[in-house]
Amino acid sequence: MKVLLSWIREFVDVKESAEDIGKLMSVRGLALEGLEVIRPALSERSESKGDDVVMDFDVTANRPDCLSMIGIAREIATAYRLPIADTGQVARDFSSAIDPSAPAIPVTINDPELCGRYVAAVADVTVAPSPQWLQDRLTACGIRPISNIVDITNYVLLELGQPMHAFDLDKLAGPAIIVRRARAGESLKTLDGKMRALTPDMLVIADAERAQAIGGVLGGADSEVSSSTKRIVFEAAWFKPSSVRATSKKLGLKTEASTRFERGMDQTAPARAMARACDLLEQINAGQSDGRTVDVYPQAHVPNQVKLERRRVPGLLGMDVPDAEVERILASLGFTTAPHKGVPYDGWLVTAPGWRVDIHRPVDVIEEVGRHYGFEHLPTTFPGVQQAPAPSDPRIARDRRTRNAALGMGFSEAITFAFIDTAAAEPFLPSTTLGAGSGGEPVGLANPLSEKFAVMRPSLLPGLIDAVSHNRRHGRRDVRLFEIGTRFSPAGESRGIGLAWTGLATADHWSGARRDVDFSDIKGVVEQLAASAAVAPAFTETTATYLVPGRAAHIVVNGRVVGTFGQLESAAGERRDLPSGDAVCVAEIDLDALTAESPTDTLRAATLPKYPAVVRDVSILVDDALSAETVRGTIRSAAPATLIQVREFDRYQGKGIPDGKVSLSFRLTFQSVERTLTDEEVQADMQTILDALTRDLGAIQR
Amino acid sequence: MSPIDPSIGPDRAREVFRAELAEVRTDAELQALRTRWVGRKGSWVAAFMEALATATPEQKKPVGRGANELKKEVEAAIAERETALASTKRPPNAVDITLPGRTPVLGHRHPLSLIRDEVIEIFTRLGYQVLEGPEVEDDYHNFEALNMPAEHPARDMQDTLYLTRPMPAFAPDGASAGQARRSHAPQPRTLLRTHTSAMQIRHMEKHDPPVRLVAIGPVYRRDNLDLTHTPMFHQVEGLVVGKGITLADLKGTLTAMAEALFPSTRAEGARSGQAADFIRFRPSFFPYTEPSAEVDIRCIKCKGSGCAMCKKTGWIEILGSGMVHPAVFEAVGYDADEVTGFAFGMGVERVALLKWGVEDIRLFYENDLRFLEQFGL
Repeated sequence: MKVLLSWIREFVDVKESAEDIGKLMSVRGLALEGLEVIRPALSERSESKGDDVVMDFDVTANRPDCLSMIGIAREIATAYRLPIADTGQVARDFSSAIDPSAPAIPVTINDPELCGRYVAAVADVTVAPSPQWLQDRLTACGIRPISNIVDITNYVLLELGQPMHAFDLDKLAGPAIIVRRARAGESLKTLDGKMRALTPDMLVIADAERAQAIGGVLGGADSEVSSSTKRIVFEAAWFKPSSVRATSKKLGLKTEASTRFERGMDQTAPARAMARACDLLEQINAGQSDGRTVDVYPQAHVPNQVKLERRRVPGLLGMDVPDAEVERILASLGFTTAPHKGVPYDGWLVTAPGWRVDIHRPVDVIEEVGRHYGFEHLPTTFPGVQQAPAPSDPRIARDRRTRNAALGMGFSEAITFAFIDTAAAEPFLPSTTLGAGSGGEPVGLANPLSEKFAVMRPSLLPGLIDAVSHNRRHGRRDVRLFEIGTRFSPAGESRGIGLAWTGLATADHWSGARRDVDFSDIKGVVEQLAASAAVAPAFTETTATYLVPGRAAHIVVNGRVVGTFGQLESAAGERRDLPSGDAVCVAEIDLDALTAESPTDTLRAATLPKYPAVVRDVSILVDDALSAETVRGTIRSAAPATLIQVREFDRYQGKGIPDGKVSLSFRLTFQSVERTLTDEEVQADMQTILDALTRDLGAIQR
Repeated sequence: MSPIDPSIGPDRAREVFRAELAEVRTDAELQALRTRWVGRKGSWVAAFMEALATATPEQKKPVGRGANELKKEVEAAIAERETALASTKRPPNAVDITLPGRTPVLGHRHPLSLIRDEVIEIFTRLGYQVLEGPEVEDDYHNFEALNMPAEHPARDMQDTLYLTRPMPAFAPDGASAGQARRSHAPQPRTLLRTHTSAMQIRHMEKHDPPVRLVAIGPVYRRDNLDLTHTPMFHQVEGLVVGKGITLADLKGTLTAMAEALFPSTRAEGARSGQAADFIRFRPSFFPYTEPSAEVDIRCIKCKGSGCAMCKKTGWIEILGSGMVHPAVFEAVGYDADEVTGFAFGMGVERVALLKWGVEDIRLFYENDLRFLEQFGL
């Protein structure tokens, strides 16, 4: 809200500079957004002295009364402990001028719920430009001057906050004013020249025949005041906030009037505003009202009353405010306070002024007291602890542990947008990855910002692939990124970790031995992440459209698929602008699923073995189609319980090995917790294992 | 090097030797010097001794003693220099320790994650539980229960992203404390939460006071990408409910948090004797708190003198807060006459922008390693 300091000073004699006023009001609830110095001062009485200042205050949505000079002036007066000028300029008393038997124009309100009050006055006018001071004031506050009549309505709007409208009386059929809902199929050309299709939920101001204005939003072009207008009807009314808001939203039409009405206007204000408008009409020689004002006010405003218990003030604020201050602040803001003693409460009965539509409860009043007494007087205290704090969400510790493991393995932490484009999501939908799941539809957004943000990610990988691509395009060849975040499916949300790795798998060092990432590297990372959750997963071959066939695996824990990893299909990377030929390895683990399969609090530390381990190596020749898992399985099932570890340490194909065969070398560790194993028994065990390998897999010992 | 004239006598010879020794730089030069002065053949000592052989016994004695002394002195000086030279020699198989090391790759933390953990740390220290909640919410938890019924103007403050098809509602929990209080039926989830405040409601529905929690996570608004806006950002939400919780408690808590998050700005204030001027509480408006306050800290850039960043006010807003509105307590079935509470919400990105002087919020979502690697572990 832009206010003019000279205008404010007509209501409150504040001597401080605009800067000082801005500083104080910022901690009293009116944040100063900007200052603009204007010279000379734009005074109504044209006795301009010195500079003037436009102060732009940020008025919160609950305070429509501050969308006016008088509203801001009242706040300043309270903050500076100054009296607010009785709005003496609004001197005319209309009560005697209202003669229901001979109305200036018949006014009918058909829907008193949507229009609680309608004040109208008729005037003979001479349409001309406004005097310069008036035009300047409007301009300074951001409103374009149009003509003396329209300018008066805007001047009253700015000064008192009451939106007004002026109709050309001779253009109204009847002449009559009927406040009703729009008829089905009715339309209206508004002042901005646009045809508006109206619906029966909208309130219109009509003449005897048709709609002439959209109530509380905008006037109609056909009854617009023009240079040839001779007689006008001024309107000052009260419209229901939710109705104006709905209409404004539906029409996509926001005006100074609708902004105020939708937040709530003072039902007691229209008569005052009308008096001010009629006074101004005479003051600037724009015309003369005939003195017969119509005021249709079906149900007089009932002021909001609040019982304020004295103890509640320090109880909520945590500071004591003297009674005198409570009463001073409230009185200055226009409230009336009646002390109340004893039963049922000790404090005040507080009555809110008509413009304070935000006052409903004791806390609303306590806020007024608190903010004008000053938050700077609040002590700094801390809430006491009555019981041990409840435990935090276990995902926080789990995610931290997972994050640390990924960081330690060289992955940097990424955070990507949870919405992605449809094409990026498609390869990662449940039907194309895990096989199971609830169908292949992504979670779509009804009102996305753009196609780039159309659906919620079903996987963390699309975002990470884009991040890898960004780094590649900015000259970074070696990239390791991970993200811990939410994935979305029509069934709900789940938390996962995604990883993407391209470029060197080894340290980048002058001593050589550089090697790019391959399947085994990402598998190792997956194994370590599983180990960090105390889980030893199995791996099964799988296929996914985004992974290279034969280099794709599922992570399986207790028979449940908890993740997928492998080498990214180059076409999938190229679609996201990754250079072809770069191997990118990716992995994704459903952390919620992994957690569900993790043992909880079952760790018991094992005693370290007392007896030495015996290590034996064995090399065999088998079909190269046999998986290492099968060979390992055969060894395990043939071996006694003393076999504690089987490790592949070499795999060789090439010179000296027949086609279709592979040489595998295993290191077997035997150990007993009861005694030292003898060479003979280990030798016998080895023979049993070799026999099984020969018998079951056709292995040949090398 | 010219041969040494044996006739110059020990004293003069000593001067020559010392001058020559001073010139020696390498082991080879030192060995050459040794041969030249004390070697068996052709050295100064050898030549001198030879010349001495023809001298009379009277001449022999003093001169011979002088020569012997010089010989011992030369040998000692050479031996000493030998040791000194040896100590500067690099041992066999020495590595050039100035070559770059074989650096294990260590990942870097995302700055938003660092702030998040810092906040968790601060509030864990103050005895809060840390919670996370669903990112897809229903209208009731995101708006209605927070005193923003349908058509409430405040809904415009947070432009919402909606799903094309609702997600199923959460199954009602079993016999929890809040179950009996809850007056609304479970709703399908239709929108991306616009604030973490939705978590407040979910928690209070299930738990009786006292409540002492922070909730952290991503939130979503229909804001276009620019220097200061992203359609997804992160929030920290705090909620304390109990008997006798006051606005002063909120002020103390948030002051402690701001001091921990911005220690250098705080220190700056202390140095300039304006410690009390580090933070301020401004009355404001939120539908779910009453009274409401926005919290500013002294501008990080200009330290309060006024600059473009703080719009010449000297203050930078960091969060919104207030006393929980009685309507919110009513929605979750708390007795607003019995308990009071405070709540606050803070943007994680905003804190990171201010703390580290990041000039474009979009950098947080590009994941450019050149950016991420500036932040530690």
